[in-house]
Parts: sequence; C-alpha cells; structure tokens
Amino acid sequence: MSKVMMVALGVLVLLLIVFPFGVNPYTVQVAITTITYSMLGLAFAFTMRVGLPRFDIPAWWGVGGYTTALLMKDGMSFWLTALIGGIIAVILGALVFSIAIPRGMIPFLMIGMVLTLAFYQMYGSVSLFGAWSGITNVPPPTIGSFEFVAKRDLYYMGLFFLALNLVVYYLLFNSKFGRAWNAIGSSLRLARSVGVDVVKYRMANVLIGNFFLALAGSYFVGYYHAALPAVFSFQSALLVMVYLIIGGFTHSLAGPILGALIATFIPQYLRVEAEYQTIFTAAIVILILMFLPLGVLGWVDQKVKPWLYRQRWYARLNKGKVLG
Amino acid sequence: MALLEIRNLSKYFGGLAAIKQLNLDIFDSEIVGLIGPNGAGKTTLFNVITGFYPPNEGKIIFRGEDITGLEPHQIAQRGLGRTFQQSLLFMRSTVLENILIGFHMNCRAGALKEFLHTSGSRKADQEAREQALEIIDFMGLDPLKYKLPEELSSGYQKALAVSIAFATKPKLLLLDEPVTTLSPDKVEMIMKLIAKVRDAGTTVVVIEHNMKAIMDFCDRIVVLAYGRKIAEGLPQEIRENKEVVEAYLGAIG
Repeated sequence: MSKVMMVALGVLVLLLIVFPFGVNPYTVQVAITTITYSMLGLAFAFTMRVGLPRFDIPAWWGVGGYTTALLMKDGMSFWLTALIGGIIAVILGALVFSIAIPRGMIPFLMIGMVLTLAFYQMYGSVSLFGAWSGITNVPPPTIGSFEFVAKRDLYYMGLFFLALNLVVYYLLFNSKFGRAWNAIGSSLRLARSVGVDVVKYRMANVLIGNFFLALAGSYFVGYYHAALPAVFSFQSALLVMVYLIIGGFTHSLAGPILGALIATFIPQYLRVEAEYQTIFTAAIVILILMFLPLGVLGWVDQKVKPWLYRQRWYARLNKGKVLG
Repeated sequence: MALLEIRNLSKYFGGLAAIKQLNLDIFDSEIVGLIGPNGAGKTTLFNVITGFYPPNEGKIIFRGEDITGLEPHQIAQRGLGRTFQQSLLFMRSTVLENILIGFHMNCRAGALKEFLHTSGSRKADQEAREQALEIIDFMGLDPLKYKLPEELSSGYQKALAVSIAFATKPKLLLLDEPVTTLSPDKVEMIMKLIAKVRDAGTTVVVIEHNMKAIMDFCDRIVVLAYGRKIAEGLPQEIRENKEVVEAYLGAIG
C-alpha cells in the first residue's frame, strides 16, 4: 500500500474513533444504523462475487437476532449468543443450500426469496419467537460488569463487528478462495475447465456470509433490545440491495459501506421526515441508475481516477510508481 | 495402453445423434488433428469427454480410469485440460492472474488449509507465482503479463487461452479451434506453441478447419462426419481419402 493510502487510512481510523465525541447522540445512532446496513450490504456483495444474488438476508439476520434475544433472556452472555447464532445460521444454511446451489443462480435467487418470506412468517407466528409482538426488553450486552448502553459504546462495538467482517473478507479475497471466487464470477465454464469445484466454493462463500449476517443480527438486538418480525422483512432485503447500488456493486468492500452512509446520512442532513425516507431513497436510486449506473464508486473509477492521474501534483506524489 | 480410450460413445440431443457409436484411441505424446465438416460432432465430443455433457451410451477411459459421468472440475483435476471455441478468458484479471488461476486451482493444496496457515499460504502463493511466471515465459507471454485480456490482439488472446489450459499441467490437452480467424503468421506462432507443449510431455488433440495447420503439425488425423468416424490415419493418407473429400465438398456427380 502506498504512503498516501496509509496516511489516508490512518486519518480515517482516527476520525472514526473521535467521531462520537464531536456530535450529538442522535447522529451516533444514525451511524449505528449505517454500520448494520453496511454489514448486510457486505453479505450481498460477497455472494454477488460468485454470481449469486441473495434475497435471503433478512432470514439469517433474524437467526442471529432471535438467537441472541432468546438466549439472553435466559441469562446467557451476549458474545456467546452471537457465536451460537452464527453457528446455527451456518448449519441451517448448509442444509438448505446443499439443495439450492448445485441448481444454479435462478433457483438460488428464488429459494432466497422463499426463505425470507418463510422465516418472516415463522418469526411472526410461532409463540417461541414472541409472535408478531416479538421479544422485547432484551438486556444489554456486557463485558464483566461493564454494560453497553451508551450510544457511543454501542457504536464502538459496531465498529468492532464491522472491522472483523472487513478483515476476514479481505483476507479471504487474497487467498485461494478469492482466486476461485474471481474465476467463478468471471466465467463459470472456464473455471470448471481448470478444475474449480464451483459448488464447493459457492457453498463456502454463502455460508461464510451466513455467519456474518447472524453476527449483524446479534449486534442489532444488542442495541435495539428487541427482536421483531417487522425488522427482518422482505423490505429490508430490497433496501440492502438499493444501498449497494448507490455505493457501487463492483466494489465488494467499499460499495456497501459508502451506499449505507449515503442512504442513511443524507436524509438526516436534509431533515427528511421519517415517512418520506423510503420515497427519498427510491428517488436517489432512480437518479443513480440513470446517471451513475455503477454507483458512486463506479463513477469514481470512470471519471475521478483518470482525472486524478492527469494532475501534476498527484503524479509528483506517486513519483516512480506505476499508476492504475 | 492408450492415454484416452473412447468406447462406443453416443450422444443424442432429442432425436438427433450428434455422436454415434464412436471408438477412438489417443496415445501418449502425439498431436492429433480432429477434422470434419461443421456439425460433425467435434465440439460435442470434446464436451462429452470433459464432462460438460453426459453421454447417452459408451465409456471414456482416461489413464486407465473410467471418467464417464464425472464433473468437469473432477476431470480437469485428473489431468485433462481443454479450451473453448469462443476462446474463454477471465476478462477481469491480468494475464498473470489468468495463468495463476489455471495453475493454482489445479494444485492439490486445500484452500482452507492454505488460508489457516497464513505463513504457509504466503509461501504457497509465492511458489504459485514463480511457477506461473515460468509458464508465461514458456508460452512467450512475458511482456504482456500485467495486461488485461481486452488489451491483447486476438492472436495473443488465443495464445492466452491455450496457456491457461496448459497451466493446469495436463497430460492431455483438447484445443477447440485454436487458430481459427488468425493470420498465417499468428497461426504458425500458435501451432509452434502447441508443438512445444507436446514436446514437454502433453498430448494434444486439435479441432481445426485450417487444413495447412493440421497437415503441417499433426502426427495423425481423425475425420468425423455426422457423428461418426469416417477416416483415421497419417496426413498424407487423409489428403488422398475420397470419402473425406466428399464429406467436405458433398458428393460429386
């Protein structure tokens, strides 16, 4: 990584840590929401890399959420419930996807939708999950005697989960897994012809995503203190996709985060009324699809980067290095 | 024992017999030309051998093992490589990364093990890189290694397609029209590369319509028409075979 990049990253990390001290708690809450939607978006972009659009995000997000809600009510430690939720999501996922993945992209897509609807129905009808009223008054996460109640502390917890997610994905992308996934996303037939077991690598990809989705669900209940069916609904699946389009779906790590940032902060800044937020988001998506189809990051790749390379001061900063 | 044995192979698409009761042997270290008019079943034969289509009848035995009905990736891992008529490439990756995928994926090393041994995986990646660079050097692609496939001329794109298949270190390589549409000098470049691959120990079967390339570089020629083998032999014999001429030009008189 170049010196410029390292400095920029350092500044970013510093800003992220200092952020809650300079703003009011409400803005911190918005940041918490951004973190949640970033994690969901990361999961969607993750499976898109192997050519599988997943519509089942609310289902597994809910598995983590409800596992944490139920087990914490029984007194279990938050962190243990998060781990258990992740494991359940992986095991259930393995059962379902062993049928779905060998059949290809369209069956996978359809089964994803069915999963979201089925889980939603289950969360709302089964009394164990509190039916439509859900499970409320979930105690806050703790480490020893320290309780995560203040918005600032929950924000840092979120940063931890998000960082964990990003680091694991980044390491995977730069491993044999990442190489196989790139091949699968590029050309299924060619990948098969050079010995890539497409089903096995797709399965690994989807199940890893399942684990982190469940983790996101546990984090959500950690600050929302409740698990309600209405949260883990089909609409959330669509919102996640929309945020990724805004950010730029060709960038698996930065796209979802940028998209979530734009879609959660801009309505706040413009003081859009809560009822109009979805309409506002829809308007942004239509504009993006018309003018920046590859999202903000796609626009950066196509217009900003070439402009940047032409600037004298940028060339001087990167003296001697191969650009692009 | 032959490297590849095809026994009584048939493939039907609905009522149409694309391949009918085909028997064929391919031996070590030869370059075999597979020719025949369009629709003769040549590409279908490749697809059946490499597991992309299951056959309706018959057996395929590779290196003494019955590989009939196996998945394409399983067959590739057993040392059988191929290219596609449309010259498929990994368009989003550099030439070096294309070769790396071909080489790395055929390594027996497990992806999970590699990932968990982070120091081991760095070493494995370094080794893979070195081997890939060797292959790139062997195939004459060194000056192009950081370019994207879309930046290459069609001649080099086809060379890259052959190189990716070669990177899997196959015992048998099936090339589907590797020089179609190329100018004569590029045809010679690719055919010389194929001869180099054979000399390094890989058997090659080539589907082609370019008669000069076939006659100049193949040890043996097999002719297919309407899903059947109608002739087999040395280039000179095939050139003088009446049935072959008729199959290509239609019966005269």
